[in-house]
Amino acid sequence: MKDLVAILVNSLLAAGLYATMSYGLAVIYGVMRIINLAHAGVLMLGAYATFTLNSRFGIDPFLSLGAVIPVFFGFGVLLYRTMVRRLPRSQAGPSIESLLLLFGVWLVLQNLAYAVWGGDTQSILTGYTMKSVSLFGVRVGIPSVAVFAVSVASLLVLQLILRRTYLGRAIRAVTQNRDAALISGVNADRISAAAFGIGTAFAGVAGTLLATMYAFTPDFGRSFLLKSFCIIVLAGMESVAGVAAGAFVLALLENVVGGYTTLPTSFQDALSFTLLVVALVAFPQGLMGLFARLAGRRRSFS
Amino acid sequence: MIGNKGSKILRVLLAGAMAAAALPCAVRAADGTIKIGAVLPVTGKESKIGGAYKQATEYAVKEVNDAGGVNVGGKPMKIELTLLDDTSEAAKSAQLVEQLITQQKVDAVIGGYGSHLVQAQSVVPERYGVPYISGGAGARGIYGRSKWVFGTLSPVDVLSSTQMDFLASLVAAGKLKKPLRIALLTENTEHGKDYAQGVRDYLKAHPGDFSIAVEESFELNTPDFKPLLTRVSASKADLFMADAHLEDFISMHRTYSQMGLYYQMVTYGARGADAAGRKALGAATDYIFASGWWSDLLPYPQVKAFNAKWKASTGAEPQWYHATAYETVRALVAALGKAGSLKPEAIRAALAGVDLKDSILPGGELKFSPSGQAILPFVVTQNKPADKVDIVWPVASKTGDPVAPVPKS
Repeated sequence: MKDLVAILVNSLLAAGLYATMSYGLAVIYGVMRIINLAHAGVLMLGAYATFTLNSRFGIDPFLSLGAVIPVFFGFGVLLYRTMVRRLPRSQAGPSIESLLLLFGVWLVLQNLAYAVWGGDTQSILTGYTMKSVSLFGVRVGIPSVAVFAVSVASLLVLQLILRRTYLGRAIRAVTQNRDAALISGVNADRISAAAFGIGTAFAGVAGTLLATMYAFTPDFGRSFLLKSFCIIVLAGMESVAGVAAGAFVLALLENVVGGYTTLPTSFQDALSFTLLVVALVAFPQGLMGLFARLAGRRRSFS
Repeated sequence: MIGNKGSKILRVLLAGAMAAAALPCAVRAADGTIKIGAVLPVTGKESKIGGAYKQATEYAVKEVNDAGGVNVGGKPMKIELTLLDDTSEAAKSAQLVEQLITQQKVDAVIGGYGSHLVQAQSVVPERYGVPYISGGAGARGIYGRSKWVFGTLSPVDVLSSTQMDFLASLVAAGKLKKPLRIALLTENTEHGKDYAQGVRDYLKAHPGDFSIAVEESFELNTPDFKPLLTRVSASKADLFMADAHLEDFISMHRTYSQMGLYYQMVTYGARGADAAGRKALGAATDYIFASGWWSDLLPYPQVKAFNAKWKASTGAEPQWYHATAYETVRALVAALGKAGSLKPEAIRAALAGVDLKDSILPGGELKFSPSGQAILPFVVTQNKPADKVDIVWPVASKTGDPVAPVPKS
């Protein structure tokens, strides 16, 4: 029983972080049908921005979000206006040009980080970094709890924007049917810019959260990008609630396999990829699509 | 098809090309320089230590040149160092070594830092028959495959068996109670495999006091160590022995501390005493023990002299990588002097017979084993509160008593 509680608590905490890493990818894919390969570079940049604010000005990593969110939103809009909008559009899926461009942006960001911060391993040490609390009898680090709280808050804010604001409704409209949204008078270009900004801001937030937990170098972010891919495929590529569910499934699987089986923990990344392949083959519409299909089947039986 | 005139022009061009090819050697012999090439990761992810290797290599070469150069066959010759940056990329690293040999026509090559980079480089010297010496790779698999490859870093399995010797001394002193179960965690690299092999070999040779409770490997830059440490926690081990690079050491030990884990002794292989690790983890690094290829605390007069001149020149305390890079140049210079000529085979044979009796490395004497790798003892250090570090093993070099078992925080 204690093991089960530990698995659930650890999985839930990890899922919060994983979901925040993946919202940005899902929003950008939903609106523009672009897989943002520069996502890992932005995660890394978010970590370094937080590190700089902490080491230069003594700003607490979580408080630094006040600066990181607007700056990274602006950076995302700038990236969209100067580069991404020039890409050929495709409703069918991501174009090879977009993949190459954003991969190039990732490499530029990585090299920029080497030039600015060097290749040394960096990390942030605060008064609470090494502290832990007991949660349902399970010892968990205070940064993990704080990261989870920020992740939940981010999900709520994103849902609020998507459900209650014109921008959110327009994003959902473009996600569901770009042509119909255009006919209804939605300015798809402005919505795309905003969506790219939101996606980049989320990646910046995730970078901040990662910096409170891990050490990092300019190469940081690659394995988190892989996890994000897996999560958005599980989520059905464009569902925000699905992202949360996908993040929990991946975290649960990692904790069960890593902590309670004899499978080597070095297979952790392989696990993400296996899940990705299984999801693409067995339920390409994601977990939400799978649940809907199962519910429909049950209704037809009853 | 080529007429008489054409054939004459062709012969002239051919002769010119041959003369041009021979020119660098002729000029070099005349101007009395020894061409040494070096390929190091000055930028990229290994740049921190790669940059330090560059600094120490240049320092050592300057010291030799300032003292009048190397006496090769009765003729003083200065060293001309060509240092290239491989940007921490293995393929580029090998390519640059090849470039140094084929285009720069160097007499010998100083290899890079990092076992994966040196492994890529180490296949090139055999191809061209050029002496190669590295001060930055301890993986055993690199050596013994080519007679041209030498290395001053002792093997990683000796590092872990030295740590086992240290732990056994604590048992013998009654500080630790046997039997002791070990949690053994290693990165999934040649370095990690050698570390685990060293522990396993020791246990095989010394059955009784120790056993392995759990053995796991992990990928470099593992994002989340919680599942791994959950498994370790369930194993009820007494000792925690991991082998990790700096980034993984920081992430793993953070999770270790947050999970409130406790083991009687804790090590991360060569990690623990690094300034970067202590800055990232603060007091959580207290009492971690580590093995190193060198320590500035070694009580040899030559180490004290090296510390003083390094600090006077750079303004900073020397680290282990400065010392091994410096000693690598010294070994090569000793071989060049002993070879009496710049013929590759003469330099290689001299390198194989090098015996630096005033070495600053642990043991005080540097020579190479038949595989080309130096087999030197390691020092074991233990972190103490307030950023203090003591050598705790071997007894002859110790600067403080080991604290065992580590106090519960």
